[in-house]
Amino acid sequence: MEIDTSDVRGKVAVVRLDGRLNMVAAPRLKGAIEDLVDHGGTHVVVDLTAVTFMDSSGLGALIAALKKARQAQGDLRIAGVNEQVATVLKLTNLDRVLRPFESVEAAADGW
Amino acid sequence: MSAAPDSRSLDAVEADTHNETRLQSLAALRLLDTPREERFDRIVRLTQRMFDVPTVVVSLIDERRQYNKAEVGVGKDEMPIGDSFCRYTVLDDTPFVVEDAAHDPRFVDNALVADGLRFYAGQPLKAPNGVPVGSLCIADDKARHLTDDQLDMLRQLADIAEAELALTDELNRAGDVQRRLLPRRVPELPGYTVAGTCVPALAVGGDFYDWFPAQDGYQFVVADVMGKGMAAALVGAGARAVLRGTSQFNDVETSLHRTDVSMADDLEEISSFITMFVARLDYRSHVLSYIDCGHGIAGIVRADGTALRFVSDSMPIGLLDFRREARAVQLAPGDTFICLSDGLLDLFDSIEEAVEAARITVVNYPDPAEAVKIVEEYARDHVATDDITCIVVRRDQL
Repeated sequence: MEIDTSDVRGKVAVVRLDGRLNMVAAPRLKGAIEDLVDHGGTHVVVDLTAVTFMDSSGLGALIAALKKARQAQGDLRIAGVNEQVATVLKLTNLDRVLRPFESVEAAADGW
Repeated sequence: MSAAPDSRSLDAVEADTHNETRLQSLAALRLLDTPREERFDRIVRLTQRMFDVPTVVVSLIDERRQYNKAEVGVGKDEMPIGDSFCRYTVLDDTPFVVEDAAHDPRFVDNALVADGLRFYAGQPLKAPNGVPVGSLCIADDKARHLTDDQLDMLRQLADIAEAELALTDELNRAGDVQRRLLPRRVPELPGYTVAGTCVPALAVGGDFYDWFPAQDGYQFVVADVMGKGMAAALVGAGARAVLRGTSQFNDVETSLHRTDVSMADDLEEISSFITMFVARLDYRSHVLSYIDCGHGIAGIVRADGTALRFVSDSMPIGLLDFRREARAVQLAPGDTFICLSDGLLDLFDSIEEAVEAARITVVNYPDPAEAVKIVEEYARDHVATDDITCIVVRRDQL
């Protein structure tokens, strides 16, 4: 899984992922977002457009990152989810705290 | 520089054949007579390419045989202990090298040498307790010499194999914990028939199911701790204990709230959460109160074969600050309540398909034990990547 955290504009940080978000990638993603938040990128958009598959470990990493962002008075939103990711979110009822946005722009709107 | 002549003697090897410490350490890994695994096969392939040898083995030294957990160039998964070179390797924690077996008195009568083997080099593989139990070895039909660099390379490859042994150990332990979380017997509820199963995936997950007497009835739980391995298994054990305790004195809503509060720190620590379905059956009034905390697939198959899927509207355990409201449904004679874990979704294209498969299974197999057996067989045949757990509760016909 590729994790690109280079797109930071002030407090808004966009994290672009490419590949499978599973138990192998989850700890790295969590670490990467924690790092962003610690350096002021408290409003995080995770772009899942190029994520082909996400399991419950991946979901756990996103939830942990969301908590971290909120502790820093920020927030975390997700964009570009495919059908499999949407199913996982819906089944766990976590789509209510991680509501999928159409695009990165829509997710960051108002920040 | 040539490797120093090794002092490992035939006498020492024979004395070690029945080494209890080694045999117990080996048995604890539960790797003997297991199917081939890619995680070891790939180490063997890599080693073969790096050393350009015909034969590479990940061996385990049992009392009467050498078991080959992974191999290329041998074609057999075991050989008599008397022919084993690796049993010399496990005597010590340093590599064992025979540059030309044809000129080594220890191997004059060896069947492998008679078949053409000349060169052998093995790096011991230690169990997590530090005891050598096997070897990563290379062999060739011509005499060879390994440089110090090559010996170092072999050692590094063996480190990878050792890490896999340690992982096996952890998975075994986690699997033990997980199995102990499951109820040992089926409850005898007046007017009801109950069955349940949990088919663990190869990588141990955090699924469990439970049933026990609770305030105003009998409680059924299907849960999945996000994550795998020991951490998930231990958190599952904690959640099960808390829920069992609190459910004696509280309704479903309060019981889940208490569990949420109690588990929050542990779950935070490992970035995890628990999806859970909890139902309490009042077997006198036949009312089933349930809360689905993001678990997903539960419902009733009515006596007439129609299905009612339960509403899932609560957040998983470990996210806190979410109100939970129980819903209630009346069970008529012949109605069957079924709950399945989300591992099932790996086997179907959509939730709807999985629900329909569950409905048909219940219709075709009215006996819960039979229905559960079908789910088990299906899970085993389709090699799910996640645990698959299922509870079936049927109100008997009058």
